Amino acid sequence: MIVQRAIEAAGIPTIVIAALPPVVRQNGAPRVSAPLVPMGANAGEPNNPEMQRAIVRDTLEQLVKIETPGRIVSLPYQYIAKI
Amino acid sequence: MSLTVIKGLQSEIYVPITPPVVWTPVEKPLKDMTVAIATAAGVHLKSDKTFNLAGDTSYRVIPGDSDSKDLMVSHGGYDNSDVNKDINCMFPIDRLRELAEEGFIKGIAPKHVGFMGGGGDVQVFKEKTGPEIAEILLNEGVDAVLLTAG
Repeated sequence: MIVQRAIEAAGIPTIVIAALPPVVRQNGAPRVSAPLVPMGANAGEPNNPEMQRAIVRDTLEQLVKIETPGRIVSLPYQYIAKI
Repeated sequence: MSLTVIKGLQSEIYVPITPPVVWTPVEKPLKDMTVAIATAAGVHLKSDKTFNLAGDTSYRVIPGDSDSKDLMVSHGGYDNSDVNKDINCMFPIDRLRELAEEGFIKGIAPKHVGFMGGGGDVQVFKEKTGPEIAEILLNEGVDAVLLTAG
């Protein structure tokens, strides 16, 4: 989040895909998308390009839509890692 | 009645404080945007130096035309098994390329950045790493940055 904040402060709008939304909220991320994923597969299930593309596409749409700093938008995609 | 038993007593546990808002408004539609990825997931070219897994404040530039098969992860702070199967889990460069090809965004940036989040020297990240990464992205004139972290 430090790096996201530095990029945003430099004048570039940013959004982070987070697996742990409370953590990024605490650290002051300006825009957040939160699919239901484990840490390490934030952009979706491995070798599932449809899910990954949907997460990236929806996240970029939220970059434009979010108007309130610190807003977290849940995304309706779920991946549960088989451990 | 006073509730103070010992004057000046302080908790030795730091209370996390959410830092002040940073905000840059979006000024163009997605179809006119060049987008870069910055990831805290420890992504870099296989030919590049790996991160120090115990904590590392350095970063690696990833050229926009890199083949995703030439990328790898070195990060000591999360389970790497998904990202080892498919780098796009944390660095969705193939997906971003597809979105550029279909015209959803204008293009992908010539340079992207990988670093190792979740540890390391916070002070250095704030004062050096963060601003340096921001400058790389600013110099290549990207319109937005997509991050994966946390």
